[in-house]
Amino acid sequence: MNIARLSLLGLTLVLISAPGAADEVADVPRFAAPKRIKAGGAFLGAGRLYPSPVLHDVNGDGRADIVVGDLFGKVTVALAAEKAAPGAESALKGGDGKPLKFSNW
Amino acid sequence: MGSQFVDLNADGHIDYLTATFDGSPHVAYGSAKGFGTPVRLKDAQGQRLLISSIWDYDLKKHVNLGRAMPDGNERRERCISALAFDWDGDGDFDLLLGSYENGHLYRQMNEGTNKAPKFTGKNIPVMAGGKPFALAAKMTAPRLVDWDGDGDLDLIAGSFGDSWGTSTGGGIYLSRNNGATGKPVFGALETLIAPSPKGQQSPTRPDAGLYADAVDYDGDGDLDLIVGGYSIWIPKARKLTDDENAIVARLREKQQALRTKQQAVMAKVDAATQEAVAGLDPKSPVHRKVRSEVFAMHRPEIMALAKKQQALKKDLDKLIPSKQREAFVWLYERL
Repeated sequence: MNIARLSLLGLTLVLISAPGAADEVADVPRFAAPKRIKAGGAFLGAGRLYPSPVLHDVNGDGRADIVVGDLFGKVTVALAAEKAAPGAESALKGGDGKPLKFSNW
Repeated sequence: MGSQFVDLNADGHIDYLTATFDGSPHVAYGSAKGFGTPVRLKDAQGQRLLISSIWDYDLKKHVNLGRAMPDGNERRERCISALAFDWDGDGDFDLLLGSYENGHLYRQMNEGTNKAPKFTGKNIPVMAGGKPFALAAKMTAPRLVDWDGDGDLDLIAGSFGDSWGTSTGGGIYLSRNNGATGKPVFGALETLIAPSPKGQQSPTRPDAGLYADAVDYDGDGDLDLIVGGYSIWIPKARKLTDDENAIVARLREKQQALRTKQQAVMAKVDAATQEAVAGLDPKSPVHRKVRSEVFAMHRPEIMALAKKQQALKKDLDKLIPSKQREAFVWLYERL
């Protein structure tokens, strides 16, 4: 074993024994290639300005629905379905039955 | 606008908290009937909550105010996101306000209760890794989520990046809460999704304006990312025939002629406006009204020309694909 290999081994041992090193490596999140979500056969958020999704159980069925806001302050919801893609986007309505709309400039 | 569903006023009904580009947080209070009409949140002095720059609905322009900033200096920073979060663990919700410009995050403390909040009207910078929280590529909307499963809420935030051009796009970042209940300590930003280099020939990912939520979407026990954002791509061009090249040349000539015509129309509108508002105070409502009327008069002509341009672009795109830009919502499944 030459000096270079000994140095490499030493460095490896130091890295392995450094506090938290193993945790950091294990904690680097990895993701699959992103996929566009479909809702009711169409791409969710298509045609919207800066869609911002948040998951929330809107209809109280225990499943997280996808609520999507946008730059104009409009809000839609794609209701989650059991073992299927979410339903088509529709306006999230307020208590008065009208689409919820937040004021923007 | 980001969104948070939270019982802000502790009445047993979920409320809808958000902030828009008007620079202030809004809430639609929930009730047994559903969400009410959104209202703007106010501080203990009854003033509109803000970071610094807000859209003034009367003046119809953005105005910069320093009243909420720690040094009293105005900033060109708009609050476009808001989160309710019990920062000091005293049982009521304080607010986190996120800015578009510079991607800063501020906290505003509630010295009242959830039922009778008294927001101080003073912003305190939120630190991340010992430095003020900042996303230079402009922040979309942060979310609070227990990313590392240690029982406290961490911050996840996306960035806009270059929303139109070929420069680097947006990414998604994590700031872990390494503190304790009532004493959050947020760590330095870690990259979850690297900023987009763009340059693809089809929509392969959200490239700009990344709004993220973290949730176990596929039910496998870990947190995935649901991300809204623009994809920007240029479809691969093919070799054109001589006939097609001739069509391209003709279409470009038409485009140029149309542009010249559009410029002439806008010059005409400008001249008509100047004549109509002569002698009027530029800050007066009458001035604005007259300008709007002149524009409305020429609007059909302007729109017709714009429509023709769009049609020409569509024909050209079939032969020489140009940059495409469309928003979608994506799933990043965690492995």
